[in-house]
Amino acid sequence: MVGKTESQNGAVKATAAPAMNLESDLFSNFSFKSFKLKTKQQELLLRVSILGLVYILAFITRLFSVLRYESMIHEFDPYFNYRTTLFLTEKGFYEFWNWFDSESWYPLGRIIGGTLYPGLMVTAAFIYWTLRFLRFAVHIREVCVLTAPFFASNTTVVAYFFGKEIWDSGAGLVAAAFIAICPGYISRSVAGSYDNEGVAIFALLLTFYLFVKAVNTGSLAWALASAFGYFYMVSAWGGYVFIINLIPLYVLVLLITGRYSMRLYVAYNCMYVLGMLLAMQIRFVGFQHVQSGEHMAAMGVFFLMQVFYFLDWVKYMLSDTKLFQAFLRITVTSAIAVGALALGVGTASGYISPWTGRFYSLLDPTYAKDNIPIIASVSEHQPTAWSSFMFDFHILLFLFPAGLYFCFKKLSDATIFIVMYGLTSMYFAGVMVRLILVATPAVCLISAIAVSATIKNLTSLLRTKSKTAVAGSSKGTGGSKASSKASFDQSQPFQKNGAIALLLGAFYLLSKYATHCTWVTSEAYSSPSIVLAARGAHGNRVIFDDYREAYFWLRQNTPPDAKVMSWWDYGYQITAMGNRTVIVDNNTWNNTHIATVGRAMSSYEDEAYEIMRSLDVDYVLVVFGGVTGYSSDDINKFLWMVRIGGGVFPVIKEPDYLVNGDYRVDKGAAPKMLNCL
Amino acid sequence: MAPKAEAAQTLASQSDASQSSIDPLFHILKIFPYSIIRPPRLRLKLPSFTLPSPMTVFALVLLTYFMVVSGFVYDVIVEPPGIGSTQDPATGSVRPVVFLPGRVNGQYIIEGLSSGFMFVLGGMGFVLLDLALDKNRAKSVKVSYASAGISSIVIAYIMSMLFIRIKIPGYLRSCYTLAMNELLMNSK
Repeated sequence: MVGKTESQNGAVKATAAPAMNLESDLFSNFSFKSFKLKTKQQELLLRVSILGLVYILAFITRLFSVLRYESMIHEFDPYFNYRTTLFLTEKGFYEFWNWFDSESWYPLGRIIGGTLYPGLMVTAAFIYWTLRFLRFAVHIREVCVLTAPFFASNTTVVAYFFGKEIWDSGAGLVAAAFIAICPGYISRSVAGSYDNEGVAIFALLLTFYLFVKAVNTGSLAWALASAFGYFYMVSAWGGYVFIINLIPLYVLVLLITGRYSMRLYVAYNCMYVLGMLLAMQIRFVGFQHVQSGEHMAAMGVFFLMQVFYFLDWVKYMLSDTKLFQAFLRITVTSAIAVGALALGVGTASGYISPWTGRFYSLLDPTYAKDNIPIIASVSEHQPTAWSSFMFDFHILLFLFPAGLYFCFKKLSDATIFIVMYGLTSMYFAGVMVRLILVATPAVCLISAIAVSATIKNLTSLLRTKSKTAVAGSSKGTGGSKASSKASFDQSQPFQKNGAIALLLGAFYLLSKYATHCTWVTSEAYSSPSIVLAARGAHGNRVIFDDYREAYFWLRQNTPPDAKVMSWWDYGYQITAMGNRTVIVDNNTWNNTHIATVGRAMSSYEDEAYEIMRSLDVDYVLVVFGGVTGYSSDDINKFLWMVRIGGGVFPVIKEPDYLVNGDYRVDKGAAPKMLNCL
Repeated sequence: MAPKAEAAQTLASQSDASQSSIDPLFHILKIFPYSIIRPPRLRLKLPSFTLPSPMTVFALVLLTYFMVVSGFVYDVIVEPPGIGSTQDPATGSVRPVVFLPGRVNGQYIIEGLSSGFMFVLGGMGFVLLDLALDKNRAKSVKVSYASAGISSIVIAYIMSMLFIRIKIPGYLRSCYTLAMNELLMNSK
């Protein structure tokens, strides 16, 4: 780009040289034009280099744990994903799609092909095969570890385009920078966290961007692209339910505020129909788009759009307005009546299944606490306190209301969308800590709007001052104009200094944000929970690799068909690293099976022995952290085993294990606690 | 549908409304009870539904934001006390504790509300700044808006930093094993 400018300059100078004798202001005209081109190209260069730096930054800030420990998979769920990806690359797609796994959930087994979201595994396998094709000899584990940071970088690029669509390119750049280091996103996409969300947030933002672009332009191509983006999202994460409910809600709000247009009609219809058909290709989702209560909103709005289009057409054909009013009343009433009747019949007959517990507890947060203890026990599903918000968002929490104000000031189809996305996702983030991840792109985008608008205001203050000063001094035309501007100049230097001070203040705030994000990433979100570090007695750092050593011991010292019983947290890791059959694992799809294990763990030893014989168990794995002071071991989780077991088998009663309502594990513990397995 | 049809009838004074209406329900009702019963003359008007202005909606949204960010859902489900208390080991007196120590994802009600207020104050500071840069106001109003905005932002930021420093003692200090052991239970 820079080379092109120079060559153009050279060409201009070559042509101007012979003409210079003739007209001097022709030359000045040429140099003015080349100056203009240069600025535009300078701006392009600036934008591209900023985006490139943000891309690299997003990648490298997620590499703390790879540098500190080694390149390995973290936590529990990613081990299952790693195992399935390994299977996919070894055996091929058809074997993977039809896989029945007899090594987990003994003796039930698990239909893996039909109970997982294949997007992540297929993406990683695709990257692996591409690299292999280019003759890079990488191991699949490296690809799996680095998939999440790579997709985080891609998310920043999508955020830039989204910001450009909603507000302007400055907001897009700021949004990309915010998303690159925001701790709310980093927590689930750090290198080694090979989980669905790493890819799903990219797919989510891509779908939303393509849909907003389709609504803004009304083109069929963008609408179809958004349908394919939705397909990718459905294949990647169960959170696609958020998309299929937010977009109909957005369409409804547009209809209520009177922004119905042909563009909206084209965009929503294409996206809904094609997206629904594509989503049914994933076996895990199946026919839920027409059968499940969670997806009915989309269908309802689809029919409502048809009614709106029909009414518009009738209005166009009819010239009599009073007749049209009557017709309008009848049609709307009958449409709503028919819709409600269909919904009622569907729900009553059981064809449309009601909302599942996981999603219903988002709407009514007290539901899980009373009815489904296993959902309430996961620490990620707790509601959010203010400090989690502050930890994950820092100054974005201040900029979010400001950004909402700017969006409300300049309402358009796109800003209405981002406002709705922000509000709904913030509400859900308040209900469940894990969903701060879904709110992060919206908060970053809205905050970017606030930053961009504020900085634009401040720099326009600066610019008007310097522009009138330049106009007064260099051009020298319009002397009266210069003198009238000069009268303003006495009060303006104060404003100019104030604007500079405010800009410095804004720069300070943003740099504090960057410091905070890097600190949070380094301290809190970069620990593979499978390898632990602690301070020894003399202050030196001691690293515990106990988990992996235990699994490797299982792999080497037990017969290959041994069955291991443990609490469900460790199931995925045992099958992936120990390569042995387990009774229950993290998928938690069968509550009774888990309750059986919970009952075995909390009964007296002779009863437990009977249960374990009936399940064919050879080994029991228990985690104990007393020696090292590790606090999230099985003794801490024991009360959950009691609660879940007691939920299915009333034989197990929680008060048996407590002493005066207190949970103790030393000599003063309850007798049942001392004698249980 | 019936009261609507009735109001239309009384307004159009019965002459041509009945012929031009295509509403079947209206015709049925005209025949069945209302040819026998005479409806009284009423001045009924359906409440008209006007959309609120954007700034009204913004005010409501800000209120909801305040509630969510203060951890309102956390308060409803976990039901923490309004303010905590510890016992002073030396004197035996009970002292109040404002910030729940030791965990990132836990709070007392008062600390949640005060932090939420700080966040909203900071947001309002930016809004005031933007209002101050609007051209069509008197200069003194602009100056007061600007100073109120800047002071709000500064106060909100400093207070939030103070709160988070009290809550997480190791904030911005790099000893990652300490933070990790604390947060291990909660952030996963």
